[in-house]
Parts: sequence; structure tokens; C-alpha cells
Amino acid sequence: MFGEDFTFSKKQLGILCVVLGVAGLLAVLSIDILDAGREGGIGPAQRIAIGLTILLTLIGLTLIPLGDDPA
Amino acid sequence: VIANRVLLGAALVILLFYFVVYVVYAGNLIRFPFDYDQGEGFELVDVLMFSRGEWPYADIETYPFYGSIYPPLYHVLLVPFAWIFGPEYWYGRLFSFLSTLVTSAAIGLAVYREGGRNNTARFIAVLSGLAFLSSTIVYHIGPLFRQHISMIMFEVLAVVVLARAGEIEDTSRRRGQLLLGFALLLMAGYTKQLAAFTALGALVFLFIRNPRRAIFWGAGFAVVGAAIFAGIDLATGGHWWTQTIVANVKDFFPHQAEGLLLVFIRLHGWLLIPALLLVLYELYFDRLSIYSVWFLTVTVLNALAAGTWGAGDSYYATSIAALCMLSGIFAARTLNCTWGFRPNYLSRLLIDPFRRFGPGIAAAGMIVIPLFYLGYARAVFHMPTEGPIFGEIATLLSVEDNTGYGFHDPDGYTTLAYAQIGHLTTQADIDAGYEIVALMQQTDGLVLSEEAGFSLAAGHDVITNPVVLMILSWVGAYDSSELVGMIEAQEFTLIVLRAQFYPAEVLQAIGEYYVHEREVRMNGFDYIILRPEP
Repeated sequence: MFGEDFTFSKKQLGILCVVLGVAGLLAVLSIDILDAGREGGIGPAQRIAIGLTILLTLIGLTLIPLGDDPA
Repeated sequence: VIANRVLLGAALVILLFYFVVYVVYAGNLIRFPFDYDQGEGFELVDVLMFSRGEWPYADIETYPFYGSIYPPLYHVLLVPFAWIFGPEYWYGRLFSFLSTLVTSAAIGLAVYREGGRNNTARFIAVLSGLAFLSSTIVYHIGPLFRQHISMIMFEVLAVVVLARAGEIEDTSRRRGQLLLGFALLLMAGYTKQLAAFTALGALVFLFIRNPRRAIFWGAGFAVVGAAIFAGIDLATGGHWWTQTIVANVKDFFPHQAEGLLLVFIRLHGWLLIPALLLVLYELYFDRLSIYSVWFLTVTVLNALAAGTWGAGDSYYATSIAALCMLSGIFAARTLNCTWGFRPNYLSRLLIDPFRRFGPGIAAAGMIVIPLFYLGYARAVFHMPTEGPIFGEIATLLSVEDNTGYGFHDPDGYTTLAYAQIGHLTTQADIDAGYEIVALMQQTDGLVLSEEAGFSLAAGHDVITNPVVLMILSWVGAYDSSELVGMIEAQEFTLIVLRAQFYPAEVLQAIGEYYVHEREVRMNGFDYIILRPEP
């Protein structure tokens, strides 16, 4: 990955998007678990973040089948 | 072909009309000697302080209670003008106006370069540059004495420079271009903090293309940026951190973010369609360009940032620059018929079944592309509705003033946090400003004015930068005791308020110890004149 001529393929970019999307989604949801005393449940900023992480995951999943084409 | 040329010609004529409106607006503002958008005067004060070798990031708890929440580059660039011309608004506004022209040219260059480098690409490049200037969001802030539009110029130049830097074979040339690109990103960041989103987009693009190079250059960029930051913080005794970072952590209002997003889509939807189509094309059938990654990054992050207190439609201006580029590239490639689709599951599903309709789709594209620009021109329709020429055109086209300022705006100044500017100033506004200045000149005592321009014109000290005090008071980083004490002791012989963006305790003290004398109306805003209570 850190080679002189390395560039991401569509598949690798897709995997990266899925990993970031799922990790982001878990992080956003875990705010309520870790900060249990907080009032109001899932707020508007959290809802936006959840939507974006799900979208990122879906884009990642559709990129994976594109294989070794450069991203 | 004839229909294509007629429609493209019509789009060009309308966008050129908006350019004329923009030049008239800029000329009008450049001649106006007071604040048009609240806060311009404080930008001028920052310039004057730098011209005297002083930092504007000073102790806000002691007289004159002045601080600044913006980085220094825009102000520093204007210092030579301050040395020559003194405290004047025109050079800051002229600089901003010229910045928009440079940005527009850079957008055109990117479209020409990526769109085929032929006559068609050249024509679409001109349309794309004009489309940027025609957006009312850009039009509003283009000729203001504010740093936002200069930041966008540096951002756009950085993106254009970095776009193909990684593909340069010659090592020293490649390094030179990357160095220039990162220097421009630093300049954007030290013009306004929002440029961090563009820097992030550029780094993500470089990471996708070559992680090693992105990490190396990103680390260098971070070290230089942090060193400058630490140097200024050290030189200002920590006030730089408090005022440029702490003061910019503000409350988020979802309704404001939603309203501005809808305005952005309503105004730019016709160009958003081709821009998003190009992003999808690059994502699934070609390589991602810096323009696409940048567009997605700044649009998502600025849409969120636009919901914070004090933000406005201007937060979308960087996205507008990016979408003008993407839509222009899409248009040029469609008219040049230069699309190519890599074979994959999506091309087999979505493209191959329609290949036999290729010539028909290409012919439709010749009509659809100009319609995108005509639709956009309709969506951003704006013009003054009064005056010798615009008044006649407005009457001819049955265009009504929907703002109350002799100006037709596509939003009609209705959306929360959408800038209520764009109309022309009048001689009555100038007279009203000088009326306030005359009131100040009649007193020898201290004057507390919410806008700096009156104090500068009257030869009084500029006391406070109210918004800075107010925001820092919200986060408990400002103790107003000394200022409140001066108000209680009636040390100010005159107070001028407008939006009343002072900390609550300051406004409360003013309410208790000062009485309302009269109001002066300038640019549609009522300036409240207060005197000490007898």
C-alpha cells in the first residue's frame, strides 16, 4: 500500500468505504450507549451521520465487484 | 446543431446579463463608504491593525475590548492599500470582486482542460465561469469586504493545481506543482478556517491516488500549518487560539441547515444534476477526479457547518465552484461525445442495453445540455428592479421587487440565514451613514458603535468587536465586568446599536443606563442611537 506506484483499486476503495461506514455507524450509535445519561435519544446531527455512514457503506458494497480497475 | 447553438447562445446572453448586474452591484458597493454587510468594518480594523504592526487577536476583556475571529491572510494582503489610502472600504471590496473573477477564470480553465480542449470546451468553460458568478450565493458576497470569497479563490486555485500534479512524470516538476498546491491550501486556510474541508478533500483524493505521497505531503502540510499556528498563538499570548478556535465552536440549528440546503438545491438543481452524474460516472466507470472528491467533501461538511450560529448561504460557495466545474466538464464531454464506459456489471446492466440508441442520446444531449444552463439561469434570476435601465427592463419583463429593496432575488430574502443583501445602496443610505458620523463628531467622549465604519469616519476609537465578545461569553471565555462597568459609569457619551450582537449582560447594562434617542435607517436597517440616562 505504501509502495511508490501504489494506487487504490475500485475493490480496495469499496472495502475501505465499507469499513469506514460500518465503523462510523457503530461509533455514532455508541454515543448513546456510552453517554447513557444524555437526554433526547438520537438527535438531528446523529441522524444525519447515520444516514451518511449507511450511504458510504452501500457505495462501498457496490464498488467491491468492480475489481482491480484503478479508483 | 442549430437548436443547440441557439439555446447555448441564449444561455450565454442571460448569464452575461447576470454578469452585468454583478459588475453594477460591485461598482455600487465599492463606492459605498460604510458597512453593507455587518462586520465589514471590523475586517477593515483588522487590516489597519496589521498595517500598524499590531495583532487583532488581543485581550478582549480590557479597553478597547477588540478581538478578531478570522485568520490574517486576507487582511495582511490589504495592508499596502491601508498604508496608501488609510481606512477605506473600496480596496477590500475591489480585492474580493477581483478574487471572484480569478476564481471564475480558474473554473473555466479546469472545464476547458478536462472537457476536451477544443472550441466546444472553450465555450462551455465560459458558461461555467459565468454560472459561478451568476449564483446569488456568490453574487451576495462577491464584492464584500470579507475574507470568505478570497478563501474560495485560493481553494479553487489549489484544486486546479493539484488536479493532475500526481501524473507529472518529471519528479522536480511534480514536486514543484504539489508544493504550489499545498501552499495555496495553506493560504486558503489562513484566509478562513472553513478551507480545512477543501484540504481534507484534496488529501483524500491524493490518498486514493497514491497513499505514500499523500501521507508525505500531508504530514509536511500539517507541520508547516501547525508551526504557523503555534507561532501566532505564542505571539498573541494565546488570544489567537481563543478567538479563532474557541469562538468558532457554536450551536447547531438543524432548521437553519435544512433551510439553506433546500435553497442551495433550489437554486443550483439544474447544475447539480450533471455534476452528480459526472461523480457517479467517475465512481463506477472511470477514475475519481479531485473535483468529484472535493465536491462531495465540501458539500457534505459545509452543509452541516451551515447550520451553526452565524453561518449562512455563503458556506455553499465552495460547493458552487466545484459543481460549476463538474457540470461544465459533463456538458463539454456530452457535446464532444467523448464518454467511454469500462466493462463491468453496471455497464452491462445500465449502459449496454442502450448502446444502439447512442446517436439518439447524443442528439438529445445537444438539446439537454443548454437546457441545464437555461434552467439554472431561470432558477437564479436576480436583478435590481429600479433605476434608469434596470427599472425599464423590470417593467418590460414584469419583474417585481420581492425584497423590499428594489431588488428581485430568487429567494426573496425569506430563508433563515440566507444573506439579505444584493440590492444596490442609494444616496439616501450614504446620507444616513454620514448622519450617524455627524452625531459622533458632535461628541468628545467615547462612542460605543456596533459597526466600526462610523467610528473610523468620525475619528473615534473603535471599541469592541461585539460578535467576538458575544460568542466567547456563550462559552464562558469572556468576562464583561470592565465593559459593563464603563457602561454603568456612563463613560460612553453615545451608543449606536444595530443587530444588538453584544453579550446579554452588556445589553442589559445599556438598557438600564442609556435611553433611546432616535433611529437612523441605512440599507434597510434601523441604527438605534442611545444617550446616557440623565
